[in-house]
Amino acid sequence: MNKAERLINLIAMLLEAKNPVTLDRIRTSIPGYQQASMPSFKRMFERDKSDLREMGVPIQVEPLDAFGEDLGYRIPKEEYYLPEIRFTPEEKVALLLVNRLSSGQVVPLSKEAGAALLKLSPDLGDGSRLGHPAVRQQWKFSSQSESSEGLSILWDASVRRRSVLFTYRSLGERGAVERKLDPYGLYFDRGVWYIVGYCHLRRQVRSFRISRIESMVEQAHPESEGPDFERPKDFSLRDHSRVLPWEFEEGAEYEAAIRFSPKIAWLVERDLGDVYRFEPGEDGGGILYVTVRNEDAFMSWLLSYAEDAEVITPQALRAKVKDHLAAILKQLGGGRR
Amino acid sequence: MSDVEERLNRLLSLIPYVLKNQGVSLKELSEVFEVPREKLVRDLHLIFLCGQPDYTPADLIEVDIEEDRVYISMADYFARPLRFTPPELSGLYLACSALVKLSGQPASVELGSAMEKIGRTLGLAAVSGDEIEESMQIKPAVTEQNVLGQLSSALEERKTVEIEYYTYGRDELNRRRVNPLSLEFGLGHWYLRAFDGRSNEMRVFRVDRIKDLQMTSETFEPRAGKEPEIAEPFSPSPSGDIEVRLRFSQALAAWAEEQPIFSDAKREDAYLICTLRTDALAWLERELLKYGTEVEVLSPPELVEALRQTVQGLLKIYK
Repeated sequence: MNKAERLINLIAMLLEAKNPVTLDRIRTSIPGYQQASMPSFKRMFERDKSDLREMGVPIQVEPLDAFGEDLGYRIPKEEYYLPEIRFTPEEKVALLLVNRLSSGQVVPLSKEAGAALLKLSPDLGDGSRLGHPAVRQQWKFSSQSESSEGLSILWDASVRRRSVLFTYRSLGERGAVERKLDPYGLYFDRGVWYIVGYCHLRRQVRSFRISRIESMVEQAHPESEGPDFERPKDFSLRDHSRVLPWEFEEGAEYEAAIRFSPKIAWLVERDLGDVYRFEPGEDGGGILYVTVRNEDAFMSWLLSYAEDAEVITPQALRAKVKDHLAAILKQLGGGRR
Repeated sequence: MSDVEERLNRLLSLIPYVLKNQGVSLKELSEVFEVPREKLVRDLHLIFLCGQPDYTPADLIEVDIEEDRVYISMADYFARPLRFTPPELSGLYLACSALVKLSGQPASVELGSAMEKIGRTLGLAAVSGDEIEESMQIKPAVTEQNVLGQLSSALEERKTVEIEYYTYGRDELNRRRVNPLSLEFGLGHWYLRAFDGRSNEMRVFRVDRIKDLQMTSETFEPRAGKEPEIAEPFSPSPSGDIEVRLRFSQALAAWAEEQPIFSDAKREDAYLICTLRTDALAWLERELLKYGTEVEVLSPPELVEALRQTVQGLLKIYK
């Protein structure tokens, strides 16, 4: 006997029942339970009941009569049925696009979002009748390298304030090290997911690239009810989500003015205009005012624009760039030709 | 989610879908529920075995498939799908918020009102964008004025567009007319697949590198043909004309090893020697400048010479 068939019959019976149904009646009615011995039926039923409850099926236990000695089972219709929702065609298009996104497994709880949208499908209907390019397969979302499941666990832990354990391989480290983290939130930047939280090993708030987590993510205190920690009142995910490589680590912080050529300035403004002040020039170029803390990382970024980017101020940084360039030239065999 | 659970969830939504759309085609069901036709037919056969006690023909759900059209009756108790679980609702909010961030403004108003309706109908307080941002932040993928929206209209109307595009591999900004075919989000960016009038072939463009876009009045018929995979257009290609050999210092070796573009590599003492083929020397030059003295070009000599000239030019700026 097929399990899905048995479960559907059980839901159908408990939904339609006017009064709570006894265990005995369930056993004698539903094919699949009938053949089982009493003890094995009870085990089977308990498992089915907990599976269904996990799926959100509201199975309730109620007394059969005023004496309350005998119990029965029932699914209240008003708690089972998703009420009908009337969407406008534009809202349908938008939700069908969300479905595209969840199929791509780009964000946490994508599977769950997909399941929710499946439940909305009778109200959404078939996208092709809406005649929108986005729902005619021309918008796609391809999967991330991070597993959506790992993202879901970390997101859930951050919302519930549950500490987690995982092994993480830092850049440049040979082996992975176990970490305990109080997760505060997730962010996504240029195709990469990060988790920010308090790292018990380093004793500070840090960002971790999720693709470098080598183990399963587990709860640190599975036996406790949680929450395991409090997120600091002054913590803001935004302060961590757009930290650029040259803002990392210690070192005095200062502002540098970088001039970009017309060829590239618009691209730089798009990329960093939300973080830094950008002053457009008359020729289509412009000046970006960048916060620098880590000069090596800064110069690496600067030189990726070659002659399209120039440090204007401060003078000391200009001198550093010059020295750096001279060192590169020396390695290239400059002047020895 | 186990297979049984997944199937059960599908069946409990499939029945109300057919009840509401009697005579719906197998093709439509297979698209909406994202299952192949055979699996769908198996699902329908299973529904046919279910019903109320005592499971006589009069108690069973009736399923008819006539000429690929599906009809279901005697299943009024399954007229509506099951309510959302809390994680499903959270997932829906997260996905909506992500879509707004990733697609820019176009869908945000409709999504907002759809989510509000869902919240209201379920008797739940709507989750605000701010609340989601406390746990999940997504850098907006398209910051420019609705290029994505315009491309979407062009796709719909099959209109040729003229774009000013920055080609990273050649470090060039140029104009071209393209026929948009599809949009895909992947690797953290939006990509446009289009037939490119300039090269006369199907090409992939990164949407954020489109500086300017003009709709034309020309329309086109999409040509049949294999659509290219999305990839960074400047990634090294095995068919690239130029073979480049690089040596990364100890400090960068572990990092470089992880990068897909330097994946053809082997350790030599503490160094990492990697080989790649490319046509995009303009890109590679800039890529290598990033690593400063931590990388050395072993070959070809032309690349060493080009780098030397670039660095000499840069030094003049800082004189």
